[in-house]
Amino acid sequence: MTSRTTTPPSPAAAAVPPVPAPPTAAPRRRPGRAGRTGGRLPLLLVLPTLVLLVAALGYPVGWQLVTSLRKFGLQQQFGAPPEWVGLDNYVRLVTDPTLWAVVVRSVVFCLVTAFVTVAVGGAVAVLMNSVGRWARLVLQVSLLLAWAMPVVAAMTVWIWIVDWRRGLLNWLLVHVGVEGAAGHNWLAQPLSFFVVASVVVVWMSVPFVALSIYAGLTQVGQEVVEASMLDGAGGWQRLRYIYAPLVAPVLSIVLLLQVIWDLRVFTQIKLLQDAGSVANETNLLGTYVYQLGTGKGDFGTASAVSVLMLLLTVALSWRYVRSLMAQEN
Amino acid sequence: MRRPRTSRVLLTVLALVVSAVWAFPVYWMLNSAFLPNVVLQSTTPTFLPFGGSLDNFSAVAGQPAFARALGVSLVVTLTTVVAALAVAFLGALAVSRFRFRGRTSFVLALLLIQMLPAEGLFIAQYKMMSSLGLLNRSLGLAVLYTAAVVPFTIWMLRGFVAGVPADLEEAAMVDGLSRVQAFLRITFPLLAPGLVASGVYAFLQAWNEFTVALVVMTEEQSRTLPLWLRGFVQASASRETDWGQVMAASTLVALPVIVFFLLVQGRMSSGLVGGAVKG
Amino acid sequence: MNRRLPLVLVTSAALALTACSSGGGSDEPAATNTADNAGKTVTLWLAGGDTPDELRTYLKDTFKARTGATLSIEEQAWPDLVTKLTTALPDAENTPDVVELGNTQSPTFTNVGAFLDVSDMYDELGGSKLLNSFVEAGSVDGKKYALPYYFGSRYMFYRKDVWKKAGVEMPTTLDQFNTDVAKIATDNPDQIKNFSGFFIGGQDWRNGISWIFANGGDLAKQENGKWVSTLSDANSLKGLEQIQQIQRLASKAPADAKDQSPWLYINDSDTVLDADGKPAGTTSLAAATIMAPGWAHGSIGDLTKQDGKDVRVWNDDTFGVFALPGNDGKPAPVFAGGSNIAISAKSKNPALAKELMKIVFSADYQQKLGAAGLGPANSDYVSSLGDDQFAKALVESASNSKLTPAAPGWAAVESAQVLEEFFGKIRTTDDLAGLAKQYDDKITPMLNLS
Repeated sequence: MTSRTTTPPSPAAAAVPPVPAPPTAAPRRRPGRAGRTGGRLPLLLVLPTLVLLVAALGYPVGWQLVTSLRKFGLQQQFGAPPEWVGLDNYVRLVTDPTLWAVVVRSVVFCLVTAFVTVAVGGAVAVLMNSVGRWARLVLQVSLLLAWAMPVVAAMTVWIWIVDWRRGLLNWLLVHVGVEGAAGHNWLAQPLSFFVVASVVVVWMSVPFVALSIYAGLTQVGQEVVEASMLDGAGGWQRLRYIYAPLVAPVLSIVLLLQVIWDLRVFTQIKLLQDAGSVANETNLLGTYVYQLGTGKGDFGTASAVSVLMLLLTVALSWRYVRSLMAQEN
Repeated sequence: MRRPRTSRVLLTVLALVVSAVWAFPVYWMLNSAFLPNVVLQSTTPTFLPFGGSLDNFSAVAGQPAFARALGVSLVVTLTTVVAALAVAFLGALAVSRFRFRGRTSFVLALLLIQMLPAEGLFIAQYKMMSSLGLLNRSLGLAVLYTAAVVPFTIWMLRGFVAGVPADLEEAAMVDGLSRVQAFLRITFPLLAPGLVASGVYAFLQAWNEFTVALVVMTEEQSRTLPLWLRGFVQASASRETDWGQVMAASTLVALPVIVFFLLVQGRMSSGLVGGAVKG
Repeated sequence: MNRRLPLVLVTSAALALTACSSGGGSDEPAATNTADNAGKTVTLWLAGGDTPDELRTYLKDTFKARTGATLSIEEQAWPDLVTKLTTALPDAENTPDVVELGNTQSPTFTNVGAFLDVSDMYDELGGSKLLNSFVEAGSVDGKKYALPYYFGSRYMFYRKDVWKKAGVEMPTTLDQFNTDVAKIATDNPDQIKNFSGFFIGGQDWRNGISWIFANGGDLAKQENGKWVSTLSDANSLKGLEQIQQIQRLASKAPADAKDQSPWLYINDSDTVLDADGKPAGTTSLAAATIMAPGWAHGSIGDLTKQDGKDVRVWNDDTFGVFALPGNDGKPAPVFAGGSNIAISAKSKNPALAKELMKIVFSADYQQKLGAAGLGPANSDYVSSLGDDQFAKALVESASNSKLTPAAPGWAAVESAQVLEEFFGKIRTTDDLAGLAKQYDDKITPMLNLS
C-alpha cells in the first residue's frame, strides 16, 4: 500500500471519491516511511475508529448473532424469556424454498444491476473524457444533480413516471405508437418490476461510478496519449491498451462496492413494493429480512437471514476481496 | 489529428442526451413543484411549468414541522460529517502510512462492515439507544451514522493520504518546520480535496438515511427531513396525493444537498494542486 | 418519587369513585391533585392524521384542566406504526402511555401482554355500549386491554349520471349489484377507454372480503383453540367467485392496485388543454362506482376554485352513496375499519393514563368524534354523526360490519401481505378453489402465535 502514490483527482473530478489507485497506476516514488511499523502510533490512530465501531455496532451485531440462535418473536420482545434453539432457525431457513427463491432473485438482481451500472458508468466516463470542456461540465452537473436527489424524493418521482395511469412512460409509449402501453402496469409483474427497480438503482448509482472511473481516466498522462496518437493508435486501441489496464483496478473496486450495495438494496425495493406489485414475489434479501422481523415479528429467523446474507455477500465478493488484500500486502 | 469533426459533434450530442436523461427526474420534480395538483392529475403530462406558482413551496415550507426537521437534519448531518472526517482521517493515516500488526484485519473489517445488512439491526439499535438515554437525541443518531460511514470514509481517504508523499513533509521539516507545522502547511492542503470528497459522501448518507432514524427518533420534534418527507407523502396519500406539494417538499429536501455540492465544488477546484504531487 | 406513589394511587382511586358517581359525564370537577401532577407528562400516540387538530387540542386542554399534567400527542404514520409499537411499548423508559392502533392490529399486541388490563374501568367507560367486535379484538380470556377508539365503515360512491345512462336500477341485493356493475362496464355509455363499472383493485382485499362475509363465509375460525384459515370453505368460495366475476367483467383496475385513493377514478377531473391552452374536453373519469371509507366524500365532487385553490365540491346531481346491500335484506357485512386505544403495560403513569381514557370515552369527546365524521365507540353517541346521506350510509353499512379474525397472528398475515397476494391472483386463476386452499395452508400457521 505504502509503495504507491495516488494522484489526487483533477479539478474536473470534483466531488469524486478517488478510488485507491492500483500499484501499476503510479509507482513513482517510495514514500519515506514505507514499511515502518511506527510503534504504538498507528494503533493510537485506529483507536477512535475501533471505539466508535464497537460502541455503535458491537451490541447490535452481537444481539443479532445471539438472536439468530434463539426463538425470538414478539412474545420475547415483550418480556417472555427467549429460548435457545441452536441452529434451528438456520435449518428451517435453508430447507425452505422461499429463502432460496429470494436468494436467487437477489443474486441475479445484484449482479445484473451492478454490471450494468459499471458498464454504463464506464461508458459515461469515457464519454466525459472525450468531449469538450462545456459538454463535460453539463454532463458532470447532471450526474451531480441525480446524485444529490434524496432517495425518498427520487423514488417518488420514479414511481410517478411509471404510474400506470398518469405516468410519463406510458404516455410516451402511446405517443410513439405503442397503443397497448395505455394503462399498462409495470409494477404488477415481477419481471417488469425488477426491470424498473434495476433502472432506478442504475440511475442512482451511475454518477458515483462514472465520476470515479473518470477520475481514474484523468490519471493517464497526456504525454502517453499524445505519443500513442503519433504512433497511429486509433481511439479503440488507445482505450484497449492505454486506458483499460490503468483503469481496470478502479473498475474492479467500483464493481465490488456495487455488488455489496446492490445485494443489500432495501429502500428502493420497499418503496416500489408499497407503490404496487406483489410483495412476496418481489422480495429481495433486504425486504425479506424486514418483512420477517418488522412485519411478522419473528426476529430470530430475521436475524438468521441477516447472518446468511452476510455470508452470501462474503462468498460473492471473496475473490475480489482476496486480490484486494493481496495488493494490501 | 485524423479525428473527424463529425465524430466530435456526435459525441457532444451524445453527452447532452445522457445529461438530459440523468437530469430528467430532477427536472420533473422541479417542474411539478410549480404546478397545481389539478394539472398534475391529468393523464396528459405538462412539460413546462407555465402558469405555475410558488404556492406549493409556500404551503410546504410554511409548516413548522419542516423548519424543525431541517434543523434536526442539519445538526445530525454536520455532526456526522465532522466526526466521521476526524475519526476516518486518523484511521486512514494509520492504514496508509504504517505497517502494523492487525492492519490487514483492520482493512478487511472495514470492508466486512459494508456488507452488514442493516434491516435486522434496528431492535438492538433501539434498545441500545434507549438504555443510553440517546433516543430522540441528535447526538445518538449522529453516532450511529458516523459509525455507518466511517469504514467507507477511511477507504476513500487512504488513497488521498497515500497520495501525499511523506518525503514532502520531511523535506519541509528539513527546511525548519516542526512536524505539526509541516503537516498543517504541506500535507493538509493537499488532503483538502480528499476530505471534501469523503465529506460529501458522509453528508449524502446522513442527509438521506431514514430507516434508522425512523426507529430511534420517535418524537415528532426530533424527526429528520427524510422522515418528514416520508410522513408528508404518506399523509398526502391517505387522502388525495397532492403531487405538486410532494414534489415541492422533495425539492426542499434536495436543495441543501445541491447547495452543498456547489459550494464544495468551487472549494475543491481551488484546493487541488495535483502538480505538487506529480512533481 | 417512591413516597409519592401511594398518594397517586389513592387519589386516582378517589377519582375513579367520583367519576363513577357522576356517571362519566363531561363536567366533572377538576381532580384535586392537579398541583402534584404539574411536572408530569403523559404521551399519547395517535395513528395517522384521522383525529382532527381540534380534537387534539380538546384532549390536551381537558387533560391539563382535569389532572394538571401535560398531555403530549405524537402522531405516528400508519405504515410505521407496528415497528414503533414493537420497539417502544416494551421499553419502560420511553413507552408512550396511551396508544391508538388499528383494530386488526390489536389482537397481536394484546396477546403478547403489551397493554394494561382495563377491565376494572370497562363499565365506567361505556361497557356493553362500546362497539363489541372492537372490544373482542382487544380482549384475552375475558379481560379487556384495548378498547374501541372510532369506527369507519366502507360504503359505495357512484356516478348517478353514468348509472342512469347505462339504464340500471339501484341494487337492493348483492347479486343485483354484481350484475349491475358488470352491465355498466360492458355498455360503457360514455365510451371511455378501460372503463370500470365498479373499480376494485386486484389486491384490495379489505373491500373484497365483503363478498366473502356477505355469502356467509369468513377469513378464519377457531377450532379446538387453534385458528384455521377458511378461504376455501364453501361459503367463502362463493364470495370469491363473485369477486372473480367482478374483477373480470366489471373492474379494469390493475391486478396489483390496493385500496388507496380509488376516488381518483370517479371524479371528472382533468380538463385536458390543447396546444393553445384551451380545454380540449377529455376527462379522466374511469369508474362508475367505487367503495371507500366515508371521509372519501371530501375528495369527490366537481372541481371548483375556492380562494384561488382547486377543491372538490360534492354535487348531488352527479354523485351518490349507498351501503352495499346483502342478499338477506340487510346491508352486506363490510370490513369494519377503525382503531382501538389502549394503555401501555409499561406506562409509568397508569393513573393519569386512565384519566385520559375517561376523557376519550366521555360524552363530550365521543360526540366530537361523531361530529368529525368518525364513528364514536359508544353506540349512545352514534347520532352525533349527523343525518346527512354520508352519515346514513356510514351507520347503515356499519350496522352489519365485521372485523378480521381476532387471531393472535393476524397482524403477521397483514404485514406479510398474504391476502394482497391471494386477491391479486383471483382474476386470472383457473382453479379458484385450489388457489384458496393453497393460501389457507399458507395462512393457518401464521394465525397462531406458537
